[in-house]
Amino acid sequence: MRILALAAAAVSVHGAVDVLSALKRDCFGCHGEGQVLSKLDLRSREAMLKGGARGPAIVPGNAEASLLLAAIEGRNGLQMPPGAKSSAELVAAVREWINGGAVWTAWKEDYKPEDLWAFRQPKPRDKAKTVDSFLGASAAKADKRTLIRRVTIDLSGLPPTQKEIDEFVKDNSKDAWTRLVDRLLASPRYGERWARHWLDVVRYADTNGYSNDFERPNAWRYRDYVIRAFNEDKPYNRFILEQVAGDELFPGNPEALIATGFLRAGPWEHTGMSVEAVTRQMFLDDVTHATAATFLGLTLGCAKCHDHKFDPLPTKDYYRMQAVFATTEFARPKLPFLPTENASDLAYGKSLLQKVSDDVKTKMERMAPGYQQGRGKLPPDQFEEYKLYQKHNALHKESLDRYEPKAFAVSSGPRNGETDGGANMRYPKRAEYKPADVHVLPGGNIQAPAEKVAPGVLSLLERYGGYPSPAVPETVEGRRAVLANWIANEKNPLTARVMANRIWQYHFGKGLAADANNFGKMGAKPSNPELLDWLASELVERGWSVKAVHRKILNSQAYQAARSEGRRLEAEVLRDSILFVAGELSEERGGPGVFPDINEDVARQPLHRMGSLSPVYRPDALKRMRNRRTIYTFQQRSLVDPLVEVFNGASMDLSCDRRDAATVPTQAFTLFNSQFAHDMALAMGARVSNVSELFVRVLGRAPRADELRSATGTYRKLLAQHTAAVPAPRAAARPVVHSITSELTGEQHKFTHPESPAAYEHNLHPSEVTPKARALGDIALALINSNEFVYVY
Amino acid sequence: MFINTRKTALLRPRLGMVRRRDVLFGGGMGLGAVAFSAMTSAKGPHHKARAKNCIFLLMEGGPSHIDTFDPKPKLDALHMTKFQKERTKFEANMNTGERYYVKSPFTFKRAGKLGVEMNSLFENFAECADDVCFYRGLRAESVNHPTALYHLNTGNQFGGDPAVGSWVTYGLGSENKNLPSFVVLPDTAFPQGGAANWSNGFLPAEFQGTPLRAAGAPVLDMAPPAGVTAERQRAVMDLMGALNKRHQQQHPEHAELAARIASYELAFRMQAEMPKVLEIEKESKATLEMYGIGGSNKDTDAVGRRCLLARRMVEAGVRFVQVIVMGWDSHDYIEKAHSARMRAIDKPIAALLKDLKQRGLLDDTLVVWSGEFGRSPDNGIRAGGQAWGRDHNATAMSTWLAGGGVKRGAIVGATDETGLQGVEAVHPIKDFHVTLLHLLGLDDAKLRYLHAGREKQLSQVGGEIIREILA
Repeated sequence: MRILALAAAAVSVHGAVDVLSALKRDCFGCHGEGQVLSKLDLRSREAMLKGGARGPAIVPGNAEASLLLAAIEGRNGLQMPPGAKSSAELVAAVREWINGGAVWTAWKEDYKPEDLWAFRQPKPRDKAKTVDSFLGASAAKADKRTLIRRVTIDLSGLPPTQKEIDEFVKDNSKDAWTRLVDRLLASPRYGERWARHWLDVVRYADTNGYSNDFERPNAWRYRDYVIRAFNEDKPYNRFILEQVAGDELFPGNPEALIATGFLRAGPWEHTGMSVEAVTRQMFLDDVTHATAATFLGLTLGCAKCHDHKFDPLPTKDYYRMQAVFATTEFARPKLPFLPTENASDLAYGKSLLQKVSDDVKTKMERMAPGYQQGRGKLPPDQFEEYKLYQKHNALHKESLDRYEPKAFAVSSGPRNGETDGGANMRYPKRAEYKPADVHVLPGGNIQAPAEKVAPGVLSLLERYGGYPSPAVPETVEGRRAVLANWIANEKNPLTARVMANRIWQYHFGKGLAADANNFGKMGAKPSNPELLDWLASELVERGWSVKAVHRKILNSQAYQAARSEGRRLEAEVLRDSILFVAGELSEERGGPGVFPDINEDVARQPLHRMGSLSPVYRPDALKRMRNRRTIYTFQQRSLVDPLVEVFNGASMDLSCDRRDAATVPTQAFTLFNSQFAHDMALAMGARVSNVSELFVRVLGRAPRADELRSATGTYRKLLAQHTAAVPAPRAAARPVVHSITSELTGEQHKFTHPESPAAYEHNLHPSEVTPKARALGDIALALINSNEFVYVY
Repeated sequence: MFINTRKTALLRPRLGMVRRRDVLFGGGMGLGAVAFSAMTSAKGPHHKARAKNCIFLLMEGGPSHIDTFDPKPKLDALHMTKFQKERTKFEANMNTGERYYVKSPFTFKRAGKLGVEMNSLFENFAECADDVCFYRGLRAESVNHPTALYHLNTGNQFGGDPAVGSWVTYGLGSENKNLPSFVVLPDTAFPQGGAANWSNGFLPAEFQGTPLRAAGAPVLDMAPPAGVTAERQRAVMDLMGALNKRHQQQHPEHAELAARIASYELAFRMQAEMPKVLEIEKESKATLEMYGIGGSNKDTDAVGRRCLLARRMVEAGVRFVQVIVMGWDSHDYIEKAHSARMRAIDKPIAALLKDLKQRGLLDDTLVVWSGEFGRSPDNGIRAGGQAWGRDHNATAMSTWLAGGGVKRGAIVGATDETGLQGVEAVHPIKDFHVTLLHLLGLDDAKLRYLHAGREKQLSQVGGEIIREILA
């Protein structure tokens, strides 16, 4: 068997895939394709088992007894291919493959070149090019009003003020545009806007999901880390290194430790009712899939049960990459707050939650002094209430940790006393810890492990892109470091392309490659591959600066061209913009998640938490907290703000690479009828003195004559109605009473949820303002519902 | 909102509406995207459907097959026999340690010509036995509530995939564009895992299940805050309309604008139609009594209302209705807890079947009753004494189906003598899903949606039809 030196060098030692391609190259000619010498066909596992004139070619699990190995090694009077000596690497690979069960991960060689574009190296960059040089003539430039609204919403997620618009429109200097872009990129609002895109992809949430949906009390530090990374223009390669292996690569660096929260971003839960091995496997599958989708645009999850049907991703590669994470354990280490983090509300927040928590404990103590395990000792009717307190107590205990200087992070191997995963996870002591073996799991079945695999990276980039696969150590530490460096590398043909494409997509609404998480065969082919490659190389050459790529794009004629179709504001932009134009937006930045006003029916909806009911949702008492930007709102997997949900917010369970913008009638209900919309409209009505001011506030422009006429007409009509009708005073808050069905008896028990310990700072109520303000508020409602406000061009 | 009788008259019948929109917005462009269930996405059935609609009665918590529809006399002999179950890495904590077989605390009666044994508490449902196909071979995979619920509801133990109802409405479209085509009638509390149990997942948003909460507005924000008059709303709407009209003239190529304008009108029509479906008080006294609603029917009122609503929804053209009844997780006190649950459902589910039948709807409606898993023949007697219950069991459970396309009066499949495992006609959840789709005229292998590089389907990887339960 003759292996060219070059090919041998490219063969990674553990790849069955490479064994098969070597066989194909060197053996099939005589044993299968065209001729079947010695009656031996080597083209399938079955044919190998059947064997030829001398008997079976392989004995799975026993390489030394296999004729195939003997022939390659030149033993037993065999020598194949005739007259050639096989490399030691190939012999080792074949031995390992047979001993591993000779799993046939068929490497289909029928991939079409156009389906492999993303795995190949791009052509060298032409520095002289610009974005526009790759595109045909752009449409005429959009007018300046349209442009400033477009770029301001694009980069900051908020509309421009009338003052900003007027200044820009009047500014005829040559660099007016670039100065505008610079100002927007320098604003902290930029990070708040663009971090949201990243959080969509990684499925950020503040809770674990599933039955208890416990809080991840320190996850907010990861959210703020992402915001800081965008604002500081952290080089994208560094951003990757920190998220995949910050703990290993930058020990002692707090930012890098916080960044590893990425690896735990998916939903996860372990309880007494789940199987530990299953829960662990769910994490491993999740992190493997998420890492590949986020940074490489690969649908690696498809290779979990079988070789990828469309892309060169064998199952074995899936489990080799999974083995990289086999030593990754959850950690919640102490980590003092950084000067860049907002700790100003921690004491306040903690005092409130502590009070709620203490009250619950007091009630439990009163019901059953010194009693811990209520089951069976209390009469069933009292027991349900007790059990509810137990549940709330457990939830509060986790939530209180959000105020503590700890990180939502991972470690390689368990950290003694600092592991994180709930009471039901059993962690070995560090000294006794041994990395778990990782096996190929055919069909994804953990109870039927096949061949054991060593950690490694995906082989397709070496194969098609000539990007060498590094060796990954089998030690406890250092696995992720190798993977991270392999991803965050300018020679990795996927990494920069995937990110450059994401950036383009968020600017234009559609990526150059339309499926941002899928650069494989089934993903849409790039509409302009040369431009994508050029942008990717710009990203790399400019020191992986995301802001540099923004500038390249924003300064192009393509970006500044008039657009015939607009984009509907995303849910967060819509909510933030309404708060902003109402003068109610609180621009405090960072810190634990805040609780906004949400639909009252949803807030009051009883929600099952394993064995009992959730505490009731309470918006933050202080406006300055609950009216913060949506990115700072608490992201609870089991309770999503319906305003965000109905306007196509991102799933917290599936990676969202592009927001849906479907129009459904329930959006009309939300924007036209919700208490939030009415409260904000009224706040606006009370802040302005006439209809024109409302246009300026909401739409950034004065009304045209006909608009002013119809708006004023409506206003007068409404003013008359409001003058005639005196609004009822604010209704008293209704207590939240839930009934719990006892698991023990099936009986219903009523439970009144405790009130919040903080006095709610009310939004303005119609009874507190003049008829004029109420009528203007109605006009404001029409404006925030208008298409002009909701779409950006 | 949007209350305007003049408009109501104009908007009906529906065909008239389309014409009116065409006039207003030019050819109805983009309108497909705004209906609650867009006809553009629906491909219609793949083959002749046996049922047009589905009512899925989800018993959350894992009802005990042993104590409902699959009695195990063998457990009387084994009662309180102790054994030790080792903790392996594939067992949950809950199921390990010192275990005891426990008998059923209930009595059983034979029902129907079929003679199926069922808990004596099913006094009313027993009368339906000959219309029902009892299936004892279904096998779940997870013994954990949220993952098992996601599995039964979406085909995937991870949350985030589309629910069965989403797939069905995606495949078949809606019969009534003014109503959501997939409605969920939850218990007072949302189940574990919450709204992900009726998520549209990666399917377009209009296929999401719409939960009708037990309290508050049936659809969120369908009505404005208290004190806002219809007159005021009309004025605001009209002003918005004028602004939008002008804006649209400036952006003539932006088709989505028409869709968004139309969405306000669709919302209006929904607001008009939804309350009518919900007016169960309009039903006759006899019907209300049959479902166990009102009067002295304290135990059955809540489930009765949901079952009656389910029938009304199906009548109004809602494609898929899921009724959730919680509280079946009886680790302890199974006698009390399961008794209460069975009493709560007996009259309502029997009424639902009888009512559908007498209205000729049962032939077109598939009714399914299932929990996310069954329960174990043994437990760990955590409470001591006789307050025993049963733990979770993914390898055996009882379900039943009735109506369009399923056998009437049949028992399919069997579990072993203690009820630990299914042994006959055993099928995984994916086969159950494939079968439900099949009955509704859909082929799981063809009902696909491209997401993240894969043509996804409800069964995930394909499955087979459970032929034994087909009529």
